[in-house]
Amino acid sequence: MGEKKEELIKIVGDNNVLDDPETLDSYSSDYSFVPSRKPWFVVKARNADEVQRIVEWANRTVTPLVPVSSGPPHFRGDTVPSEGGAVIVDLSEMKRIITIDGKNRMTIVEPGVTYSQLQPELAKEGLRLSMPLLPRRNKSVAASLIEREPTLIPKYRWLSADPLRCLEIVWGNGDKMMTGEAGNFASIEAAWKRYFALLNPRGPAQVDYYRLVQAAQGTMGIVTWTALRCEKLPKVQKLFLVPAKRLDELLDFAYRLLRFRFGDEFLFLNSFNLACILGEVADVIKALRDELPRWVLILSLSGRDILPEEKVEFLEKDIADIAQQFGLRLISSVPGASSGRVLEAILNPSKEPYWKLGYKGGCQDIFFLTTLNRTPEFVRTMYSVAEAQGYPASDIGIYIQPVHQGASCHCEFSLPYDRSGQVEVTKMQGLFTEASEQLLKEGAFFSRPYGFWADMAYNKDTQTTMVLKKVKDIFDPNHVMNAGKLCF
Amino acid sequence: MAISREAYQALEDIVGPENISEEPAILDSYAFQWLAEFRQHGSKFMPRAGAVVLPGSTEEVQAVVKICIRYKLKCKAHSTGWGLYGAPITENAIQLDMRRMDRILKIDEHNMFAVIEPYVIGATLQAEAMKVGLNTHMIGAGASCSPLAAATSFQGAGPDSIFMGSGPENLLAAEWVMPTGEILRTGSLGSGLGWFSGDGLGPSLRGIFKGILGACGGLGVFTKVAVKLYPWPGPTVMPIEGTVPAYTAQLPENIRAHTLAWSTWEGYADAVYKIYNNDIGYIAHRQFIMFGDELQAAVLKILTDTTRTLNDLEELLKKPEIQKLSEEMRRSFQIVLVGMTPRDIEYQEKVLNQILAETGGWKIAAMEEPTMAGWSLLYMIKLCFKNLNYVYAGGFHDAMARAGTPDLVTSGWMEEMREQKRKFGKQGGIVNDGGDAGMGGVGTAGGGGYNAFENFILYDPGDAASVEAARACNVDAGHIAVEAGAGGYNFFFMEKEQVQALLAGRARPAIFQWQQKIKEAFDPNGVGDGSYLCLDE
Repeated sequence: MGEKKEELIKIVGDNNVLDDPETLDSYSSDYSFVPSRKPWFVVKARNADEVQRIVEWANRTVTPLVPVSSGPPHFRGDTVPSEGGAVIVDLSEMKRIITIDGKNRMTIVEPGVTYSQLQPELAKEGLRLSMPLLPRRNKSVAASLIEREPTLIPKYRWLSADPLRCLEIVWGNGDKMMTGEAGNFASIEAAWKRYFALLNPRGPAQVDYYRLVQAAQGTMGIVTWTALRCEKLPKVQKLFLVPAKRLDELLDFAYRLLRFRFGDEFLFLNSFNLACILGEVADVIKALRDELPRWVLILSLSGRDILPEEKVEFLEKDIADIAQQFGLRLISSVPGASSGRVLEAILNPSKEPYWKLGYKGGCQDIFFLTTLNRTPEFVRTMYSVAEAQGYPASDIGIYIQPVHQGASCHCEFSLPYDRSGQVEVTKMQGLFTEASEQLLKEGAFFSRPYGFWADMAYNKDTQTTMVLKKVKDIFDPNHVMNAGKLCF
Repeated sequence: MAISREAYQALEDIVGPENISEEPAILDSYAFQWLAEFRQHGSKFMPRAGAVVLPGSTEEVQAVVKICIRYKLKCKAHSTGWGLYGAPITENAIQLDMRRMDRILKIDEHNMFAVIEPYVIGATLQAEAMKVGLNTHMIGAGASCSPLAAATSFQGAGPDSIFMGSGPENLLAAEWVMPTGEILRTGSLGSGLGWFSGDGLGPSLRGIFKGILGACGGLGVFTKVAVKLYPWPGPTVMPIEGTVPAYTAQLPENIRAHTLAWSTWEGYADAVYKIYNNDIGYIAHRQFIMFGDELQAAVLKILTDTTRTLNDLEELLKKPEIQKLSEEMRRSFQIVLVGMTPRDIEYQEKVLNQILAETGGWKIAAMEEPTMAGWSLLYMIKLCFKNLNYVYAGGFHDAMARAGTPDLVTSGWMEEMREQKRKFGKQGGIVNDGGDAGMGGVGTAGGGGYNAFENFILYDPGDAASVEAARACNVDAGHIAVEAGAGGYNFFFMEKEQVQALLAGRARPAIFQWQQKIKEAFDPNGVGDGSYLCLDE
């Protein structure tokens, strides 16, 4: 072990190899139910060359590596080692925004760059990134997008991974590669010189390598920069709320707007989730939950470059007309929430504490892909399992996010609980397991299978499991990358 | 090359005697391919397959692949076929013709996708989609091509990509008979949950079979896919009038076509950026330049006037108004605006007018004339006149091709592209169209951002001197592209050793060593025909 430490120190320097008990403990578990396991070391990499040397070293010594980009708390178990003797590769110090190209609406960032760091810098250039719903302030932009987290503007997701474009990857065998159109050049600068802004993620050649690291939980390699497609910062933006008593009352209306690509931020929240976003502490959340409409479709309208006011004005009129056809109203405030407060909330990272922790201090999320028309069934199933397990349905947060321009949607149930009491933890574990299994049975697609979902999901698709193992053997032949995750 | 009787019998047992042939005339009809004349031997024929097989189902495809493994045969499928790419490039191969698998299995109106088989063509899918207010991305190769092939196996961009994305962007779940004969169903389909997602569980395995280019049939067979559809707020049946090729359609006020022009490339590029940034446009493409910058106006006149033929070309070229129009169209592209509502189209038109005012552009008046506007609108929406690429002499091929940001046009590359071909045009052998037939140039991906151009060489495939002139022009263009760090290879025309040398000379040759590893893992028996490029270690 001493020898290993010395070798790591040679790569990243004395100050960047940590093995004090407190540090190791902090990486040994998270908010998920994944069993805790202490790593041997935490190594803070500062650049791609160091990352590459660490991976090469891991291959020589057959040492498991676990890449981590975001700061704590973590929720899904993917950064907790599954095997003994693992080394955490902490990328959170790699915080360079390599470039912001205003004209081509591109930015290139290292994995430690967070939304709270990036968005203000983009705004200076008149740009922004479509974000996930209130990410943690220390959430890595790259990690979020590589893991295919949903973002709030479905119309700009031509690809399920948008706005992710080209990447630099250190594969599990230690080879470094630039993907997409960048992969045809010796350097980023060489690509720029030839009028390639790293916009095209496809290739190089006949493989979409960037797809193979998506939702891989760090099992294929380590991404050392990502090129991201930004949007013009709106000059005018108005947010509207469309309340309903039942989710299904909103769906036909939503389908019409998705088809027309009307609206930017476009998401459904139930009263409890909206209360958590606006309320921050338990008492306020409870009061808001009872006051807010049961369901709200949140819809923002933006005018960007030319005639921005006219754009928002015509959209508002058209959408109001469409809403009327479906017996709905497009309004700027509902009891307990104004559009201004909601807009301010969803355009920014979460305040501290993280918005899902304000109610009870802990939270388990169950999320999957489905189609919008099926979401009411899954909501009923979730409520039914919760009721059977004695968990109050009124404490379940629900977030539905159309993705990929509405071809599918992310459906997420958030289950707050008190982590300090063993009884409640055990109960939650039971609810989480039972609900996940029941939802899977009814057709929930756990496309990003974290923790125990992996066994559950891969057991339903043996051919994908077999093919993924082939891919793993190609890119990480010694299986040093985050061993024990997914089906590996 | 004939295959063994046992192998033939085994294949016949799978598909039935009516769906297999080894008749030389039949086999040669598959081997006779557009662009084959550019291969080293100069023949118009690709290597003759051992048999052509028409499977009718996924199970039959799977069984055929397994027979190919057993008898050490190569196997290559084509759907609608578009040039030599769909034909086996090696001997000892079975050509799969997927024409029996031509069903649209589902159109999910709400979630906006269709599930299709390989031989569904763009035109059929579009006609069915329009009945429910939807439309499909139409690849640049035209309405007679297979959206499945475009999404899985070749490139897949088209004039509408700015709004509808490209084929691979639109690919949801897919059913893939791998070269081992096993079937992989990607994404949600693999878990038996339908076609709505092509990604997961975990990593997205479609990355294996489709990059900037697909495997061109060299890595298994795709038997069904789901592709995204897009809104169509127009008539459910296209009200086509007129006589071919002067078809036109009177479409509602919310659907409009313009040809936009600029006096400088800087203005053109600025306008393209502004179109991206303001989210306008349903189709945007430098389309009619494919007839050549000096000939396009005359050809448009011929195509829209049924009393005219190509024999009138020289006469028309002398007319001042034709010359003026050609000059006006030099830095131009076509745009189709589609408003989802009356207010939407009104807004888009206003934004477009402001973009033109800010960039020094204009709408070409001659193209606003109802006959021309109706014709070009229908052309752009249906993209059903792909045969016109061959209109002058029966063949076309690429000179310089290039992709990049909109600024590329301001780099001097457009002039270089034009001059490169113009030089050959003046020498004879290829059509002297002015030099710039650089089609493309607005948006190659959803939401725009980058674009691609391909400068067509128009030649006579039946004339050896013309083929040789086109080849020389293509090779010259390839050298320039490689020096510029882009494109520049066309491996289908090369012998294996030349391909290896070409791949080894790339800035990042390792990418083809990765493909070799993938090939070894996914095609251990070597069933693929070599269209999946590998660099030997």
